[in-house]
Amino acid sequence: MKFYYFHLMPYHMEHDESSSWVTLSNRHYDPAVGHTLYNQYLDQLEYAEQLGWDGLCVNEHHQNCYGTMPSPNVMAAMLVRRTTKAKIAILGNGLPLRENPLRIAEEIAMLDVASGGRVISGFVRGISAEYFSTGINPTHSRDRFYEAAELILRAWTEEGPFPFDGRFYRYHYVNPWPRPIQKPHPPVWCPSQGSSETVEWAAKRRFPYLMVFTPIKRIAQIYGEYREACEKNGYKASRYQLTVNVPIVVAENDAKARELARKHVMWVYNTGLRMHPPFWRPPGYMTEASLRRLLANPPKLPSELDFDEAEREGYLIYGSPATVRDKLRVFSDELKAGILCSGMTGPSHEQTLEMMQLFAEEVMPHFREDAKVDETAGVGR
Amino acid sequence: MPDWQELSVRGTPVQMLRDGAGPPLLFLHGAGGAGRWLAFQDRLAKDYTVYFPSHPGHGGSPAAEWIEHISDLAFHYLDLLDRLGLERVHLVGASFGGWIAGEIATMASHRLESLVLIDPVGIRVDGWIYPFLFGMDIPEIVGTIFQNPMAALALAPPDQSIDTLALQYRQGTALARVSWNPYLYNPLLRRRLGRISAPTLLCWGAHDRLAPLKPCGEAWAQEILGSRLRVFEESGHVPHLEEPEAVAEAIGEFCRLRQGAR
Repeated sequence: MKFYYFHLMPYHMEHDESSSWVTLSNRHYDPAVGHTLYNQYLDQLEYAEQLGWDGLCVNEHHQNCYGTMPSPNVMAAMLVRRTTKAKIAILGNGLPLRENPLRIAEEIAMLDVASGGRVISGFVRGISAEYFSTGINPTHSRDRFYEAAELILRAWTEEGPFPFDGRFYRYHYVNPWPRPIQKPHPPVWCPSQGSSETVEWAAKRRFPYLMVFTPIKRIAQIYGEYREACEKNGYKASRYQLTVNVPIVVAENDAKARELARKHVMWVYNTGLRMHPPFWRPPGYMTEASLRRLLANPPKLPSELDFDEAEREGYLIYGSPATVRDKLRVFSDELKAGILCSGMTGPSHEQTLEMMQLFAEEVMPHFREDAKVDETAGVGR
Repeated sequence: MPDWQELSVRGTPVQMLRDGAGPPLLFLHGAGGAGRWLAFQDRLAKDYTVYFPSHPGHGGSPAAEWIEHISDLAFHYLDLLDRLGLERVHLVGASFGGWIAGEIATMASHRLESLVLIDPVGIRVDGWIYPFLFGMDIPEIVGTIFQNPMAALALAPPDQSIDTLALQYRQGTALARVSWNPYLYNPLLRRRLGRISAPTLLCWGAHDRLAPLKPCGEAWAQEILGSRLRVFEESGHVPHLEEPEAVAEAIGEFCRLRQGAR
């Protein structure tokens, strides 16, 4: 199994408002605190490379305390120059949120060239709330996503200049300098929430599928749909096309890990993902078929998730190194996920670093049968 | 009771309610009003043949992929008039339907005996930003739209079944396609209102919190030359639901005077 260290860069705080997204006033954001946090978080990501993580992940979210990385490419740029081996996975850029997606082709190519070909480019639609933060029409989300993806892939792979005449994006001259160093282009990943349209789209292109903060049962179901879609497209999914993101807490013993998980991981669900209900479901963001599927089996809102349920359903993993190893076997052996994208949170920066070290020394080495395999070979393009 | 009719308008399926006798009157509903034949329509149907279609994606009319802009809806209703063989009609539009009616009137006033706009949205008004209904939950929406919240019960969904929730989502999607950004207006419409030559009545709720009389109602009255503005003192954004008798009365009186006047 490959290990990628995932960071949300949250702004930890408690508040009584109905939403941690869109409307939570930025008067709560103290830039002096933010300065410390950004630097600690970047230290953690850099430390992850030293400890042997294979990749480092950043991501895009807007106007919330859950993740303070409105521009993941800025964070990736800092990591590129402070690391030498790890992949830099940007999970991702919200394609439909950009008015000029050619800028994404340019920025990813810059990072790819500067890093010597270590960049993985996530393509996402952005979660529902981003459509309230950016003003982009959610009924255009899916079509803008497909069109921007096509534009970016062509910009990376075709010699320019060429014209592009889309419904949303139009250019007379597509000719970005630089071109990416990886051929034919940096691997593309699709972090998603499991809509059947995206599963099909990703499987057709061999783009790895990443499930974020999802209960195990649903991961198993979506992985099944993805594998099936790959077979329909005439190939068998590599295990490195199946990626999972589950928060992990590891400590000397189960009891201590449980306390930490209860406090710190549950903050992500209960506070970080607390959202005014209309922000979950902007009109047209989902197809009607996806909506009906969701309503037939409505998932619990993260803000209403309690710890026991989160543990039972597999929203998180905690325990001693031995316990965490056992729990991870479910992902590696049963779900057959090839890449684990997980972050860790301790009560302080120093304790987070210690937790990372414990994981790297006591857990990771037990999953390294594939140490010599390049997980990006033949997938994502 | 009105009849349900299923039509094809240049290939776009439309479900329409129809009732009454007399000169033709086309009613264009607001968001959430599709298929709701209430006291207001009953009263109008005493003197007019009321045509009450559901916008594509609303009520029983399926969504139409080709509709991307508010003017598409305006052309759709000009097509409907052709399909029904109606040369001239009284046109009444409420809220979102008032916006469509305003667009139609800038294109084809010669097809209108009269134009009645009930708290229309659709123009940009300096000093006013329409509150963002898409970001509100139901109690917030009711508080914004209704002066008398009891009147909202007439629009309440029958149940919370998957079909009902999917219909509401489809309606929200059809609305958002043409109104998410710019929100509830067409930047080009205000300049064009000066083209409207049909006799025009503006009906406005005194307590409209979505598109308040000042400055929105006054802006419409200023742009449509010769228009009359009637204010309904007990109403918010939807006087035809909050004071149906009084609004229908005012419309009847206005249309009667204009019938055949041109």
